Amino acid sequence: MVRILVGTRKGLFIFVAGDERRDWTLEGPHLVGWEIFHAVLDPRDGSIHAATNNPVYGATVHTSTDLGVSWTRAEELGLPEESGLTLEKTWHVEPGREGENGRLWLGGAPGVLFRSDDGGANWEAVESLVNHETRDRWHPGAGGMCCHSIQLDPLSPEQMYVGISAAGVFRSEDGGASWTPANQGTAADFLPDPFPPVGQCVHKVLVHPQQPERLWQQNHCGVYRSDDRGERWERLEGNGLPSGFGFPLALDPRDPDTAFVVPEVGAENRVTPDGRLGVYRTRDAGASWELASNGLPEPAWVAVMREGFSFDRLDPFGVYLGTQSGSVFVSADGGESWSEAASQLPPILSVEAVAWP
Amino acid sequence: MAVVLLPSLLATEAGGQQRFELDAGTVAEALRALPIVDLIFDERGELRPLVNVYVDGVDLRDRDGLETRLAGSEEIRLVGAVAGG
Repeated sequence: MVRILVGTRKGLFIFVAGDERRDWTLEGPHLVGWEIFHAVLDPRDGSIHAATNNPVYGATVHTSTDLGVSWTRAEELGLPEESGLTLEKTWHVEPGREGENGRLWLGGAPGVLFRSDDGGANWEAVESLVNHETRDRWHPGAGGMCCHSIQLDPLSPEQMYVGISAAGVFRSEDGGASWTPANQGTAADFLPDPFPPVGQCVHKVLVHPQQPERLWQQNHCGVYRSDDRGERWERLEGNGLPSGFGFPLALDPRDPDTAFVVPEVGAENRVTPDGRLGVYRTRDAGASWELASNGLPEPAWVAVMREGFSFDRLDPFGVYLGTQSGSVFVSADGGESWSEAASQLPPILSVEAVAWP
Repeated sequence: MAVVLLPSLLATEAGGQQRFELDAGTVAEALRALPIVDLIFDERGELRPLVNVYVDGVDLRDRDGLETRLAGSEEIRLVGAVAGG
């Protein structure tokens, strides 16, 4: 059975189908009244964790251990007083590794990371990032200074990454005790120095699950790949991609050379190019890109948010995207063809798909 | 006992309870006794700016703020600011 967790501006919608991923049944909406920036089903125990925000009541995390029937809210979530910072938004929840029972990571604004060791009831700010020596050179993007990407190396228990807009990618080799900027080769065309150590507007970072030294990045200023855990990045567009600007990113869970992006015209016109919802795929590590939009709407001028793209681990693997105009599209064959699984939803902020009994 | 009335989202977060009867000396004491205290105050203890509090129909800002004293029979109503789409 496959579940798609669709976070919207008006609550969480869950769609369920068999492994053929054709006929989707709606569960929910859940968490009505909350903006769901991201929701994830923890493959270790089946609990759902959602980064939830409300313009009046602030930012928090909700957890369900019964697939959405009931929810509990995290204990008070905040930043240390001496930091001078207050929590603005919660953005992304990342379950810990297999065997790290109860451990979760939470990214938020302003450029902060939290850790839970009790399944999301209590969260501690990761002070090494709160107090990072380069913080005075970070600045918020249009969505705030959001820590939106948290990636754990599946093979190295102490190795992890965060992506913060606009601060860049940071790598930790000691489980979050310290962080090193990992932005060499990524551009910040909007700054006087276009290749600074920090300040890059990273939009999404993913580690390949089977080749974790390979990272992919969709940035404000281009699409990138790193083959050395973020030491250096290679810019990849200009070879079939209509634009290097975009937000979401998806991978093939078994082929490290395959990745998907959904470009937008540019920072000043944030809709998909050429009047179509265009998913672009590379199967040669970014040397070339091809349109993989068979079944996606045309004409269309839409946007897919940074968390609005997902892939599952089935064979063939599925790819999922949700649009700001409230449609969910599913490809059950690795991007060869797409069909609409849902429409007329509120603006979609996040999509996560997972096979779960 | 003062009565605190919650809007629907906060009532859901309070386990479905919309009305609380509380013995409190000030509005701050009453609000900090609620199970949704983290949603109406930030981590510094400041009332979130879009949370409106009315005591017997009068905006807390036109009284003595959170230190407004309670005689024991007031109705305290929380209202989220009306904005957005």
